[in-house]
Amino acid sequence: MLKLAGIEKAYKTPGGTVPVLHGLSLEIEAGGLCAIVGPSGSGKSTLLNIIGLLDRPDSGQVFLDGETADFANAAEAARLRNRLIGFVFQSFQLLPRLTAWENVALPLLYRNVPRAERRPRALAMLERVGLADRAEHRPNQLSGGQSQRVALARALVSDPRLLLADEPTGNLDSVTAGEVLTLLRSLSQDFGVTIVIVTHDRDLATACGRRIEIRDGRIIADTRGH
Amino acid sequence: MPRPPAYGVPFGEIVREAFANLRSRGQRSGLALLGIVIGTAAIIAMLNIGHVAQLETMKQFERLGVDIIQVLGSPNGAPPGFEPALIDNLPRTIPGIVEATPYSTEQVTARANGKEASVFVMAAPAVMTARLALAPQSGRLLTDIDDCAQVGVIGAKAGAELSPRVDDLLGRQIALSGYLFTVVGVLRPTPNDAVSVARYDDAFLIPLACARRVLPSNLPTAVLVRTAADADIDAIDSELQRTLANKTTLVQTTNAKSIITTMNRQKGLLAAVLAAIGGISLLVGGIGVMNVMLMNIMERRREIGLRAAIGATPRDIQTMFLVEAAMLAAAGGIAGAILGLLISALVVKLFHWDFAVAYHLMPIGPLGSGVIGVLFGLYPAVSASRIDPIEALRAE
Repeated sequence: MLKLAGIEKAYKTPGGTVPVLHGLSLEIEAGGLCAIVGPSGSGKSTLLNIIGLLDRPDSGQVFLDGETADFANAAEAARLRNRLIGFVFQSFQLLPRLTAWENVALPLLYRNVPRAERRPRALAMLERVGLADRAEHRPNQLSGGQSQRVALARALVSDPRLLLADEPTGNLDSVTAGEVLTLLRSLSQDFGVTIVIVTHDRDLATACGRRIEIRDGRIIADTRGH
Repeated sequence: MPRPPAYGVPFGEIVREAFANLRSRGQRSGLALLGIVIGTAAIIAMLNIGHVAQLETMKQFERLGVDIIQVLGSPNGAPPGFEPALIDNLPRTIPGIVEATPYSTEQVTARANGKEASVFVMAAPAVMTARLALAPQSGRLLTDIDDCAQVGVIGAKAGAELSPRVDDLLGRQIALSGYLFTVVGVLRPTPNDAVSVARYDDAFLIPLACARRVLPSNLPTAVLVRTAADADIDAIDSELQRTLANKTTLVQTTNAKSIITTMNRQKGLLAAVLAAIGGISLLVGGIGVMNVMLMNIMERRREIGLRAAIGATPRDIQTMFLVEAAMLAAAGGIAGAILGLLISALVVKLFHWDFAVAYHLMPIGPLGSGVIGVLFGLYPAVSASRIDPIEALRAE
């Protein structure tokens, strides 16, 4: 499903070059939840950005669903993201101006899905995350848990193969975080989508079928099972 | 069932989104548009005033047409006067002349009913009234039979000064320089022409034959020449000067063509001033649009990051902001066009012209400012498309 080979990444700062990822290689099979854990500065966010084709490795390759990511072509990377990847962020990133269903439908806009078709698909997705009755609400009328569920619906509305979540429970209380986790699991099963989560949340990481621990840009542990 | 990979946002969707974005920003966008509004208003006002002025100009030639030359003799050491036979022969001696009517004019004080009025005496053959398309509101016009009779037709305004009810003057006598003339007709109120032969409303028309009684000379001092439609006006003009000139008379000609040229030159000056105001305002307006868009993009960094993450290509982002800029400016253009029309209506009212709208020129407002929007929106749009999505998503 997802394969990284020899990923190198360093950031240039005024004080010199700071290496972040050291020849990191990784393979994640289709389906299930995989957590990437590690302390701040370990490089896990950079790794997630590279998997999500938002950042460009200095060297190494990313294979997504059998395709080699072409980082040199921004438009091509955008299309690949749109087709294969759904994103969930810590701060939800809902557009305040749009209603819940319009936020959910946004990825379909970039896939040339006609408006008449976008709405029913977005509504179906909202229903799946239990927010059918909030379709016409705007983000400021939604609680944190509801916002993250809308974001999940948005991430999944375009039938991606891979869902990338960056601290998805970071802004939520523990009860709500538990609900989101339960939802992530059932969505993974229903849609057969692979979910990769970057998290500090112990409970969330433990709940994942696989945990990859990163420190100083290297994988130091890779455990499976609950 | 994987959907066939079709990408690219349809244009209708881009416009719909741009509209929603602009609406949510409301009056802040509006304020920045002031420059565009003023610029467009100046240009639309200019175009519409020009249009109305054109119509007004044409109106002044409506009655007599543009194929008229007026010849005026001015004194050259002695009272001026043209040889009547020369005038009668003009259609035969100068090619392109269709008819030539001699006449004389003089400002004279008229008395009746113990009242006085300064009238513009015009002595002309009977055919003149037909050639000037004059019509009576009561009584009759002069005829050939009047020949040397002391009769006259009075203008509506001059008549009103001599008698509270103008029509009461019919059959009454008016004293002109010691001679009594019987009023046989009253002219209908008539606007002056561009080639102004006389101020018709102040006129008193009398037969030319015995004009000597009230005018300095029996000889006509002016000629109304009508030319063929395709005639070379300038050639006829100089030919007239040459033919009619004599020792006591300087020949001065006025033709419709030169009047129109002068009018257009004046209009051109007004247009240049308004165009300069419009151009500068549009430039300022364009910078205003650029400013709004840059601010807009700063505030929507997270949105840009998100859109990039979910699949917007740099070009999609660029197009989104470009369309917003164009629509923003075009909205200003529409407002400016309306304002411009109001301004032109005011100016037109000031000149006592009849208002008209040059509908065919109105699209220039929104279209022109739309182009300004695209030009000045280009830089913000391109810089938006270059924003790094990772940093943008982190923005607060």
